[in-house]
Amino acid sequence: MRTELHFDQEWTNNFIKQIEEDGPWANWELFKLAIEAEKHTAIPSFTGLQAPAHLPHLTPHPYQLEAARRVVEEMNGKAILADEVGLGKTIEAGLIIKEYMIRGLVKKVLILVPASLVSQWAIELNQKFYIPAVVQRKSYVWDQCDVIVSSIDTAKREPHRSIVYDQQYDMVIIDEAHRLKNSRTKNYEFVQHLPKKFCLLLTATPVQNRLDEVFNLVSLLKPGHLGSYENFEKDYKGKEKSIEDEERLKALIQKVMVRNRREDTGMDWPERIVETVPITLSPEEEDLYRSVEALKKEPVATRSQFSIITLLREICSSREAAYMTLKKMLEKENVTDQARSLMTELIKKIEGVPTNSKAQKALELIQSIEGKVIIFTEYRATQLYLQWFLKEHGITSVPFRGGFKRGKKDWMKELFKNHAKVLIATEAGGEGINLQFCQHVINYDLPWNPMRIEQRIGRIHRLGQESDVHIYNFATKHTVEEHILTLLYEKIQLFESVIGQLDEILTRLGMRDIEKHISDILLHSESEGEIRIKMENIKELINYQQNQKEDTDATRKYS
Amino acid sequence: MRQENIHNYLRSYFVANDCAILNERPGVLSVQLTVQLDKELMNRPFYWHYLEKIGGTPRPMSLSLITNQQSEEKGEFIHFGAPRLHQIFSSTKKLASSIRLYEEIPTTPHQQLPLHPWLGLNIKVSYQCDRKKHRLLSLGLHLVSGAVVSDFHDLLLSKSLTPKIPDYTFTISPIIKPSSGLTRLEGVVDMLVSQEEHSWADEAKKRWAADQLLLDQFYDGSTEVESYHVEKEALRKQYEPVITVEIVNGGIFYLGPGVELQKNP
Repeated sequence: MRTELHFDQEWTNNFIKQIEEDGPWANWELFKLAIEAEKHTAIPSFTGLQAPAHLPHLTPHPYQLEAARRVVEEMNGKAILADEVGLGKTIEAGLIIKEYMIRGLVKKVLILVPASLVSQWAIELNQKFYIPAVVQRKSYVWDQCDVIVSSIDTAKREPHRSIVYDQQYDMVIIDEAHRLKNSRTKNYEFVQHLPKKFCLLLTATPVQNRLDEVFNLVSLLKPGHLGSYENFEKDYKGKEKSIEDEERLKALIQKVMVRNRREDTGMDWPERIVETVPITLSPEEEDLYRSVEALKKEPVATRSQFSIITLLREICSSREAAYMTLKKMLEKENVTDQARSLMTELIKKIEGVPTNSKAQKALELIQSIEGKVIIFTEYRATQLYLQWFLKEHGITSVPFRGGFKRGKKDWMKELFKNHAKVLIATEAGGEGINLQFCQHVINYDLPWNPMRIEQRIGRIHRLGQESDVHIYNFATKHTVEEHILTLLYEKIQLFESVIGQLDEILTRLGMRDIEKHISDILLHSESEGEIRIKMENIKELINYQQNQKEDTDATRKYS
Repeated sequence: MRQENIHNYLRSYFVANDCAILNERPGVLSVQLTVQLDKELMNRPFYWHYLEKIGGTPRPMSLSLITNQQSEEKGEFIHFGAPRLHQIFSSTKKLASSIRLYEEIPTTPHQQLPLHPWLGLNIKVSYQCDRKKHRLLSLGLHLVSGAVVSDFHDLLLSKSLTPKIPDYTFTISPIIKPSSGLTRLEGVVDMLVSQEEHSWADEAKKRWAADQLLLDQFYDGSTEVESYHVEKEALRKQYEPVITVEIVNGGIFYLGPGVELQKNP
């Protein structure tokens, strides 16, 4: 069957009118130029990428160009971009948007990103891609601009919601799309009802093995690609998954997902040089730590209210952090007198700690490093303390938190880049800031969720980093910290290997909540020896899975 | 488009629009805009509105355009992806939408020459599904005999043309009216397109049908829900093969005799 032709009548009508009115007629030079322009901008072929010729300042990496090509030519413009952190998913997305805009397939684009990344997206699209993206700040922006960056939380709320639904977007982009893994949320429902002619979902969290989540994400993009919910449950979620089922599912997912790993990019990435820095507690700190540890045997403490493991971890970080927690516990209602006296006693001990051995060590290290340093800590109190402590010793530092508004984040980043030696970040500071100009990271205390380590390191070990990256892990001797670091993280080579696979492995093992596992081990083990054995156990499991995975990867590669 | 081509293009555009060249070196072009081009390119309607209100002296801006990135000169760097260049491209198209020209042929007072009327169209055909490509056509219709020639624009480029009827020539009145000429050329485009390969459209329909099938399975009979219809419509927009024919520009050309004897497309 042949395709119907649509003739554009506007020109014809004008032309007839001009003949009747005998002009005005154009100038021959301009007339020729118009044809020349048309020859340069006409697109001769359905395939191939036009975007690079339009972007002389941008040099995408081969894997990014290949990703863009696959999305356009093989996935028909609907894809999950799931490169590992720091490989430049935004660049791939920008290339794809640009390609469609050049070809005239896309005019209106809606880009939904976490609030903290809104301006960054707009800036990147404008500067790197000459795409006139506008941040949604006023409601009239929806109608007046074609390319809009907004947070999903704004867009889903009235009055915006109805306006957005009326816009007929040609393309919808969703950054940090793993936040849409739950199909019962308002956000999911909002995106599901959004018309998606072309659609990109960006996520750095591999979704391969969490079946529900992968089903929800894919179904948002391409409903039915993984079947209906009922069939999916039946086919893949039974207890015994056969290898064939798993392979089939993987193949299906690969049809809609681009996932580059560092090792597949064919590029020389700067090395990660990992060093463990042991810390010895001062006698006062040691005494404090042991008194909390001893509470494990106190029924009062273990029963409730007392987060012993949290306290132990905090003592390893700073006495300030531990103090804040104790204070909060005291303020709670129904604290028994017995618990209260325990707490007050501990607070007294905290007050008796004169120095912070870890901060001292950090200071020495920072003084020995020529370049800039990022310190990551889990605790706000530690962050504040360190800032004060470093200032006392003449070192300028800037704080960084996830809760900062975008403008403040950018400002802090600039301050760090141009004026300060140290940036002290709390956990949530991670997402969406790029600090490639820095080569040294101090893990002042370690998150117990290994995935978060990668988020930290990914801030500097990413595209644009030209030198090797140094990672210093602080571990206080004979404490929970040492257990985590030396018994587990080091043995599974957490810091050297990029973590993508670990997430898959933990999922396979049913240990996604590894944090809780570790807490349990530390809390309930009777002796150092027992801790050691249990940790060894986890390590063996992980290594076993890892080897298995490597084996299958290798067979696949060479078969 | 190479950087030198861009430079030459810009130069021709500004000269054709009566702008004075202030400074030109390889890779550098400074021009004084006219009032018309300032309004066309500089996007400052408030200034012009205000000026016209108070009746002040217009001060159109000047532009410095750099096509050689190594140049030390200050100005706007123009490359193939630069929004300014594409703005100028579409401005060209807008300002040169239709034309009337006469061929200049050496004649004498004793030998008056007839000029034949032609309708010339430059056409962009877009083939669109989830992908898109273009084909450019240039067709000329002899408004006396109805003969059609292809690559008409190239033919015009080989001739000397002028906006005023030259001395000692006279024009033959068209037998085919321009409006019916337009209809005839539409028919020619239709024929040319129908002779092409259409597997791209069939492939797109296959992709569409496959996705539609998945969608139906996903909703499994409960097709009354709103999101089903949203998704279904989105698939149509994504895949439906459409061919659109847009006229880039065109005009009436009075040419010396003989052109109509060329082979038809």
